[in-house]
Amino acid sequence: MSKYQVDKVMREAILDAKAAAAFKADAEKFLQDRDLTEEERKALIDVDYATLYKLGAHPFLLNGFIRLVWKGDKAALNAEYRKNIAPFGYPDFST
Amino acid sequence: MAELVEIIGISHSPNFPGQIAEPNPEPAIVEAAHDYELMRKRMAASRPDVLIVIASDHLNQFFMDNMPAFLIGKAPRAEGPFPHEMRAFGIAPYRAQVETDVAKSMLQAAPKMGVDFSFSDEFRIDHAFTVPLNFIRPEMDLPIVPIFTNVMAPPVPPARRFFAVGKAIRKIIHALPSNKRVGVLSSGHLAIEIGGPKEGRSSSDPEFDRRMMNWVGQGDVENVIKEATWENMMASGNVTPGFLNFVLLMGLADGKAPSVSGVRFPKSKGSVPYMAWDNQAGVLP
Repeated sequence: MSKYQVDKVMREAILDAKAAAAFKADAEKFLQDRDLTEEERKALIDVDYATLYKLGAHPFLLNGFIRLVWKGDKAALNAEYRKNIAPFGYPDFST
Repeated sequence: MAELVEIIGISHSPNFPGQIAEPNPEPAIVEAAHDYELMRKRMAASRPDVLIVIASDHLNQFFMDNMPAFLIGKAPRAEGPFPHEMRAFGIAPYRAQVETDVAKSMLQAAPKMGVDFSFSDEFRIDHAFTVPLNFIRPEMDLPIVPIFTNVMAPPVPPARRFFAVGKAIRKIIHALPSNKRVGVLSSGHLAIEIGGPKEGRSSSDPEFDRRMMNWVGQGDVENVIKEATWENMMASGNVTPGFLNFVLLMGLADGKAPSVSGVRFPKSKGSVPYMAWDNQAGVLP
């Protein structure tokens, strides 16, 4: 598990609009040199927020990150987010 | 010897300025805005020469590659918030000179008072500083000394440590080699959840908020510290540890009850607390 590296990717996208655009354009390329597990890499590429949450991504960063890189309907995202992460409770997000 | 002339604690919600500016804000928002206006007047009436501003950073300036628990900023100027925060919330910028002599004196005195602060000569202040500063000192005419606290990246220091650091800052202010009038402004919040399953528009745990603000109002340090454990705060909402900055203020006030305190419960946002310790009421220094 490399929670720190996941958090670092999310923070970069939040702080830097160019990084967010690069992630959205080609997430696989953006992540190619990152020290991530395959599960983390896939979850980031798929913007699979429920898995990222379950793995202990920092919820504050996750909240900002997915709204930046979500390609679908944002109103629908808000509606489904809580429901989809609820089964995982409160994972430890310490790094 | 410097004089501690006022201590004020308020929320730093980045949504709050926008909600006040709405055409028809709900009554609790109007009341909270009025509370903050009274806080602004209290700080102005205390005629501070310098503001020590104690707030958190939301993983903007500081991150887990190098995370300080308590840090004093001593760059010549402080400016914020971060561009992405202005884009997301439409909040106003804030710029202030940093009173570097005071910052350096504090750093030198602190180890004798039991605190080894980190320091920074290059930083940006995020909304936890700029939102309360824009409410309390919109003139941007006072120099500040920013103190950053870690309430976001576990392990965060326990409540008892926040209280002790507040007590130490009180002693450090009194020992400063100048006769400046020092005001303290801190920001935090009560129960709130962001990016978790309980996230909603209003407080994630109004009972926690009432209980804590009742104890803050009474100066009941022991109950506050007993309740404000990491586990309890996380159960109330996953960003609730921002409350710890108010525990630090209780230490700064030497455990005395505030001159005035309270909390509003808008339906459209988390609860809005305020607390002030005035010199006039004989509570300080």
